[in-house]
Amino acid sequence: MNRPIRKVVMVLLGCFVLLFVQLNRIQFYGATALEDQPANSRTIQRDFDRPRGRILTSDDVVVAESTPTPGGFFEEQRAYPHNNLYAHTVGYTSFTFGAEGVEREYNDALIGRTAGQELSGLTDILSGRNPVGDVRLTLRHDMQTLARDGLGDRAGAVVALNPVNGDIYAMWSFPSFDPNLIAVNDGSVANEQWTALVNAEGNPLRAKTYRDIFFPGSTFKLVTAAAALENDVLSPTDPEFEAVESYVPPLTERPITNFGGATCGGNLIELLVVSCNTAFAQVAAEQLGPGPTVEAAERFGFNQVPPIDLPASVESIFPTDFGSAVENPDGFPAGVFENTPALAQTAIGQNDVSASPLQMALVAAAVANGGQVPTPHVLQQIEDSETRDVTSTYQPSVWLRAMAPDTAAQLTDAMIQVVERGTAQNMAIDGLIVGAKTGTAQLGTDPPRSHAWIVAFGGRASEPAELAVAVLVEGQEGSSEQTGGRVAAPIARSLFEQFFSSQ
Amino acid sequence: MRARTVELGLLVLATLITCVGYGMVLLAKQSADAASDVQNTFQTEVGGFMGIVVGLLLAAHVVVRMFAPLADGLLLPVAALLNGLGYVMIARLDEGLAAKQTGWTFIGLGAFSAVLLLLREPKKLQPYRYTFAVIGVGLLLLPLVPGIGVRINGAQIWLRLGPFSIQPGEFAKIVLAVFLAGYLADKRELLTLTNRRLGPIHLPDLRHFGPMLLAWGMALMVMIAQRDLGSSLLLFTLFVVMFYVATSKTAYVLTGLVMFMAGAVTSWRLFSHVQTRVDIWIDPFADPKGAGFQIAEASFALADGGLTGTGLGQGTPKKIPFAPTDMIFAAFGEEMGLLGATAILVTFLFFVGAGFRVATNARSPFEQLLAVGLTSLLGFQAFIIIGGILRVLPLTGVTLPFVSYGGSSLISNYIILAILVRISHNSVNQAAEELEEINSEAGEVGVSSKTRAKWKAVSA
Repeated sequence: MNRPIRKVVMVLLGCFVLLFVQLNRIQFYGATALEDQPANSRTIQRDFDRPRGRILTSDDVVVAESTPTPGGFFEEQRAYPHNNLYAHTVGYTSFTFGAEGVEREYNDALIGRTAGQELSGLTDILSGRNPVGDVRLTLRHDMQTLARDGLGDRAGAVVALNPVNGDIYAMWSFPSFDPNLIAVNDGSVANEQWTALVNAEGNPLRAKTYRDIFFPGSTFKLVTAAAALENDVLSPTDPEFEAVESYVPPLTERPITNFGGATCGGNLIELLVVSCNTAFAQVAAEQLGPGPTVEAAERFGFNQVPPIDLPASVESIFPTDFGSAVENPDGFPAGVFENTPALAQTAIGQNDVSASPLQMALVAAAVANGGQVPTPHVLQQIEDSETRDVTSTYQPSVWLRAMAPDTAAQLTDAMIQVVERGTAQNMAIDGLIVGAKTGTAQLGTDPPRSHAWIVAFGGRASEPAELAVAVLVEGQEGSSEQTGGRVAAPIARSLFEQFFSSQ
Repeated sequence: MRARTVELGLLVLATLITCVGYGMVLLAKQSADAASDVQNTFQTEVGGFMGIVVGLLLAAHVVVRMFAPLADGLLLPVAALLNGLGYVMIARLDEGLAAKQTGWTFIGLGAFSAVLLLLREPKKLQPYRYTFAVIGVGLLLLPLVPGIGVRINGAQIWLRLGPFSIQPGEFAKIVLAVFLAGYLADKRELLTLTNRRLGPIHLPDLRHFGPMLLAWGMALMVMIAQRDLGSSLLLFTLFVVMFYVATSKTAYVLTGLVMFMAGAVTSWRLFSHVQTRVDIWIDPFADPKGAGFQIAEASFALADGGLTGTGLGQGTPKKIPFAPTDMIFAAFGEEMGLLGATAILVTFLFFVGAGFRVATNARSPFEQLLAVGLTSLLGFQAFIIIGGILRVLPLTGVTLPFVSYGGSSLISNYIILAILVRISHNSVNQAAEELEEINSEAGEVGVSSKTRAKWKAVSA
């Protein structure tokens, strides 16, 4: 019977060879494809069992950290000691809902998976060190707290950044949420709390600062003014516009009026100081036209996603289609287009123009920074969590060139005058040179409500500006041009005071 | 006695490997728990039981030395390695199972010793083949008896005895192998003679064929009725292999395969649970969180392991459903990688090789067939479950011999091991006795001492 036994041995051997071949296919050749399967939760699970780097502010306040949880779902539980204060920037990391914000953007660094860290892990293999990165943000705890306290329980957003290098010092929007609710490792609890947040009034999960857009109101006149100066349509002092109560653009009967039925006119500086709707509408409709206005808006960053180092930031919108040219009986230099009436409205921040608070802060920054829009960012540097060595530093860069330095200087002067004698007199601070522009975007409701805006920059005398700020307070009662200066300016002002007194 | 020295050496090696594996898991657990104050039961409890398991395996060597000193020296160490590694992985997956698996190892090695002690002449089982057939089918039917039978995970194959659940099917396989060996050893010549033809196939007389087909068919039906597909497949393979070895007729194998195909297609058509298994086999990732969960998680675990594995104690094999039992191979694949998983495949091949060598050297057709049958049971059972995990076959739940958690399985595997060791010892012993005879005859006829030495070498 030995011959058939040998054959059985061969068959069984063949079976095991088959197993070996398939084992190679699964564990070696096909492993990557299996790891990429959406149902494969192992990679993310592994990340959850490992300690994760901390997230700190530039003034050394820990805003996210991992604590061991013996007997928990995972070895580690992520915690956010300041609850909702940094939620929209730092985000969260949740086994059930994935990661958001800095937790998502800098996930690789936080779990030690960047190329540099893995290389360092190789050399440290003998010491058994497993380096993860601490992420240090440009955010300042004092500024962030002040932004939150300033806005209080009013819906809105605050962005404060460095106009030169784009360091973001504060980025707060209300309502916010407590990321601890989502990061909790127990999936069913997380699910319940997530559902509550999704359905909560005011959508607290949404970061209004960089993920939502609003009518910018009169703050947009800075862009229109830049367009006019860049295209040599006017100079700061010439021409002098006739003081009027209303302006009727071509192809429409509907007049554009000033706040409170006021009459205004004068040169560009004057127009900005009093925030004159009629004149800016007229400049855009008759002298600039669609092309140059759109171009100017896009040079400030409109219609582009800001390259901020946070996921899913949204682009601010400036309409690009104003229809085709029609007869131009009055001989306007800009020509007349089907939608010229709409252009007249967008030029004063209404109709179809929408901007994120981040974008409006960048407009102020560009004015203060010689016309250059810095790349906004929240990362300062990544540090080794054990040795505290800095493993990489954020390299600031220029995102866009919005206007010539001359134009920026002229607008700087104009904005300073807005503070000195215009709608933003609340922003005057001893020892500082502050420029600002208010905005009140009417929502067309009854009773009238509007978004109150202020954008501002400031610095010490004869030094470059060091801070640019945008504040939005949503849905305020009333619709006078004073609203922005009255409601939004005090919040911005406190940020300037804190920033410059702490240095 | 040389075989025993080899056995002891290999056994020490196997226990050392087991201890190193335990040490790796312990280190991984300690570093993971370093930050917390959790009491490390893995060190105290699992480690203590670990010592018992190692002690038991070494004690088994003493038993072999006493009762089967001439047996093959590879069988026990290979089983010990599989059992030891299995223990480490089971305890790593579920510390609560450590004590139980130690208990099962104790009982298993008790059964091993008892079989070695009591079964001095396996040949004496042959006359009782029909009794074994009845016992085998009876054991299979037991779980269907209301009151004592319980259904666990869809299969009605368990007996509830006080705090324990046992699977009589695990023992039925051995009993049926004894029956088949006895029957085929008796009838193999008659079965080889053919007096009818059906087309190109020569058919033996149904008179000789019938009783066996009846017993075997009943066993198979019972298993299918109990939804124990893996065991059905194993029993079928056992039958085909033993029949082929007994008769050397490839035609029977082909007939068997055709019958198997027919049976497979029929049950696929009839039973939705069979269809589900096949669907999952074809595409486990169609529903990776539902029907295909087991296979999908096992595949992810294997992919995670890659070439060298995550390291024992450092992966997440707890995610694999049924990891300590049916799916334990995937847990090894994850933590020991392609290299470690291949080592386990090779270890099984060692066992199978040793088992078939026992069969080849056995001195009677009955013992030969029994050794073939028992070795095939182990070898093909390993193939069926590993193949199921690796998507070579549809997944059917059987244990990985010696490795998986489970009392019935471990005890029955040790009984198989004992029978193989016994057959091995007896064949060497008998060869030595024959040699003695030849020697004395040779002395009379004047064979040179050189030739005698050659004979001696052959018999050792």
